[in-house]
Amino acid sequence: MTDSKFPRRALLRGASYGAGAAALAGVAASWDRLTAADVHGRDDHALVVATLGSAVDPAAQRALSDGFRALHPGLDVRLVPVQATDWSDFFAKILTQIAAGTAPDVVYVATEGVQLFAQRLGVALDDRVRRDKEELREYFADVHPSLVESMMFEGSLYQLPVEFNAADIYLNRAVLKRSRVEVPPPDWDRDDFTALLRTMKRGGGSGFTPYFWTNRLWGGVVPWLFANGTNVLAESKAPGGDWLWDTFYPPRDRRGRGGGYRWARPQATADRVEEVYEYLSSLIQDRLCSRPEGGSGTNLVGVFSTGRVGVTPAGGFWAGGLHTAGMRRDAYDVQYFPRWRTQRHQFGAAGYALLKTSKKQDEAWEFIKYSVRKDVLTQLFHANQTTPARRSMVHAARYEETGPKNWPVFYDTLDQFPATGPIPAPPQAAEVEQLLLKHTGTALADARGVRPALRHLQSDLEKAMERAT
Amino acid sequence: MNRMKYVLASWTRVAGLTAVALLTLGPVIWTVSTSFRAPAESFDLPPRIIPGHATTEAYHQVFAQIDVWLLALNSTLVTALIAVGQMITAGLAGYAFARLEFRFKKPLFGLVLATMMVPVQVTIVPVFLLLKPMGLTDTLLGLIIPAWPTAFGTFLMRQYFLGMPKDLGEAALIDGAGPWRIFRSVYAPLATPGLAIIGVLAFNYHWNEFFRPLILETSTQNFTLPLGLVSLQGNLGTGSISVVLAGVVLSMIPAMAVFVIGQRPLREGITSAGVNR
Amino acid sequence: MTTPVLDRRPTPTSSATAPRRSLKDRGTRLLAALFLAPTLVGVLVFTVVPIVGSVVLSFFHWDVIGTPRFAGTDNYTQVFTDDTVLVSFTNTLIFMVFAVALQLLLALALALTLTNRMPSWLRSTFRSAFFFPLILSAASISVVMKYLFNQDFGVVNWLLGHVGIAPVPWLTSEHSAMAAVILVYVWQQFGFSFLLFVGGLNTIPKEIHEASSLDGASGLRKHLSITLPLLSPTLLVASVVGIINALQVFEQPYVLTDGGPGDATRTVVMVIYQSAFEQLRFGEASAIGVLLFVLIMAVTALQFRLSRRFVHYQ
Repeated sequence: MTDSKFPRRALLRGASYGAGAAALAGVAASWDRLTAADVHGRDDHALVVATLGSAVDPAAQRALSDGFRALHPGLDVRLVPVQATDWSDFFAKILTQIAAGTAPDVVYVATEGVQLFAQRLGVALDDRVRRDKEELREYFADVHPSLVESMMFEGSLYQLPVEFNAADIYLNRAVLKRSRVEVPPPDWDRDDFTALLRTMKRGGGSGFTPYFWTNRLWGGVVPWLFANGTNVLAESKAPGGDWLWDTFYPPRDRRGRGGGYRWARPQATADRVEEVYEYLSSLIQDRLCSRPEGGSGTNLVGVFSTGRVGVTPAGGFWAGGLHTAGMRRDAYDVQYFPRWRTQRHQFGAAGYALLKTSKKQDEAWEFIKYSVRKDVLTQLFHANQTTPARRSMVHAARYEETGPKNWPVFYDTLDQFPATGPIPAPPQAAEVEQLLLKHTGTALADARGVRPALRHLQSDLEKAMERAT
Repeated sequence: MNRMKYVLASWTRVAGLTAVALLTLGPVIWTVSTSFRAPAESFDLPPRIIPGHATTEAYHQVFAQIDVWLLALNSTLVTALIAVGQMITAGLAGYAFARLEFRFKKPLFGLVLATMMVPVQVTIVPVFLLLKPMGLTDTLLGLIIPAWPTAFGTFLMRQYFLGMPKDLGEAALIDGAGPWRIFRSVYAPLATPGLAIIGVLAFNYHWNEFFRPLILETSTQNFTLPLGLVSLQGNLGTGSISVVLAGVVLSMIPAMAVFVIGQRPLREGITSAGVNR
Repeated sequence: MTTPVLDRRPTPTSSATAPRRSLKDRGTRLLAALFLAPTLVGVLVFTVVPIVGSVVLSFFHWDVIGTPRFAGTDNYTQVFTDDTVLVSFTNTLIFMVFAVALQLLLALALALTLTNRMPSWLRSTFRSAFFFPLILSAASISVVMKYLFNQDFGVVNWLLGHVGIAPVPWLTSEHSAMAAVILVYVWQQFGFSFLLFVGGLNTIPKEIHEASSLDGASGLRKHLSITLPLLSPTLLVASVVGIINALQVFEQPYVLTDGGPGDATRTVVMVIYQSAFEQLRFGEASAIGVLLFVLIMAVTALQFRLSRRFVHYQ
């Protein structure tokens, strides 16, 4: 028995030595890969730009960096696409790099982080904007002042808006047809909205929800707060900013503009806030909308495009999403958010911020200017994955393939409702967001939950705003 | 009589196990079948196992949107080297803790075990700061080397060696074998199944790892599969669910292969260890 | 019939007669040092140093951007008075108890049901099926589960509807959200404990195992009283690992519910992540990390203490 085993053992041993040698050879062959020695541009020469990796496909990213190199032959740029599923993953990465002293020079920042970066990390662009004002005139003329104002903090400008998304209402046309109703008119109000949901519900059957929304800062409860003329944090504007408005905008656009938003005093127990929650709670009680789920809206495109949901709030970024999900251009449409006390909309915007730790500030500024050029943005946003900040890019040809028919709504939201503004995002935005989502969840989890949850929200917000970040 | 009872009992067993297996595989089957569906069908109820119009479009999309081969190469290098490294470190340390006598054994074992209890979210910033002077940030080695010491693997191998009959080693000792010989020719050959478990688990865990690569890797060339797959989710989660799931299905194939291959030594070894008793 | 089987039970360890002195000589110590070096050096550099770092950090205010300021015990007072943090500890403990209990019971029941008498292809099919969820990434599968558990169009409620159960608001009710998170977690994890148990059962002499299974339901008690003690080392491994992993749960609640509704599914690691990377309070996050670490250590130490009484090594 041992005899018969022996050659097998020897064979096995031989085989395992062979495998070991092959593995070693493999490791040796891939040494450059393991140590990243084969990666071009990891040295200190390049300008490092951190972008949101999931927003722009690799080909477009290459175009972005190649184009910049072609324009500035002496300047190397290295795009670092952060593969984050949300802004907190994105921050985790940037913060770790800042802690290690390997911070990027330029970072893509959305409304949620504008004031945090401005207050702690960013460089005001004022002097550079003034210096290059002739070059930038065309850009500002093409960008709505509301977007620019959302990138200001205490009188200074920190970013040039690249993209934005306002919360409009998407409607599934198959559901509308089944319910024998038309796309609502632009000036519809909250009661029209409720009536529409009721009509949809009647023919919907089980497994159908007229209105669906995700519990998040952008597009959650906030659009309703805005429509009712209120906010969780009292809103005011910082003084200043005239230098910008006077240089780039005609008088009618200047009116009411200031030096950026201030969100300070929490007002979660205000009557109008409570009204909004009571309204949403009543929709849930009547089974016209589902309780909002937390987290990302990953499945939302799917349930909307397959007619399980009739209406949902979303922005221009959905046009591209629905197209990839196989929805035909005439299978859905878009309309403004309904009027309540006002028809003010909410939006989120994003652009590149210059970090004060950067040793290549001039080069970084060149990149920021480059990133808002029309030809660059056109290449970047070819798939309609967002709404470009430039008005001239929102045109019929862009939405020819993806729809919706009512595409002008995307930019007109800004023009028609000049009070439209950014989601509340003070420097403590992350905490405000977490508290808002948390208490919105409890407020709507059962019928009598609204008042106690709002009282909690109020006291938690007060604590959060007092605490220095 | 007894036989009939046995047959009946074994049918109940098979039925019970089958029910659990269906519940377990249900979501996986849904994932696979949805990845072959046209997006418009992806949320059908009742969920259809065989898609009405099977299409590989989602897979073409995956290959068009991300560099699957480079990502897979990186992931393979990282997970294979972590798995092999862990088998070595855990096999050696586990044996020392189980079968060798030395001072501070208990506190040292406690220390190793304690490292299992620290969530990666707590240590990631200090680890990044440590890797920087070593020149290991934004390299694959920076992912691999810190993952070599494995508290869980050490723990498992210690239990494993403890479970082996002591008489074997004692017999060899009486025959005059030194500690190295005892390890080399008595216990090490019996350790294969334990090491296989560690290899398989290390592969699974690190193949799907997201947070460490997210923080440590910045160049696209150094991305691993889970990082690459994020792109498929699209801006603000607007990616098609079929495409996202096609990416998930592609990425689970290698892990599945490792499990299938690892199963054999795992089973054989366990049985032989049982017979030796 | 059972008598010869019982005779075969391994006798308690024969270590009393072993020549222990020679196991302690210099060669042994050198070998031990060599064997331990890779693990200990690695642990020292990549875990102990970072932990010490974060313990130190827990006495500072640090937002990463500026320089750390000494905080004394501020972070700890803050943590102990913060409702969210306290709730997250309760949640995590509740999660741990139910998830681990369910995971172990299910795995044990399945491992005992899977006998050697079954054809080997069937056994390996079941084994692979139960293990399968483990090879998926927790984050991706949670995205799938989020859809399956949706109140209005999820498959779970659709199935329950067939047996007359009204749609459950799985992820959006404070009462069921934790249950959903536990189910998704156990679904993915039980296969691991299952494999351990199958391995453990294989080391038990066949005759004991099969003799007791032949006796059928009436012999269940006997079955357990014979098999369980022999399986106790495996049970220890499975429960220690299960508990340590459960106390660090993150992906499932993060994707499924984002900790909500309210704080119903917010776990400790989620709070650590949020206070560090979202709210830039690294000192506070470290303090919570230290507390979690202490908690896990205490639970594990307790387990080992208990194990001295209940675990039998052969």
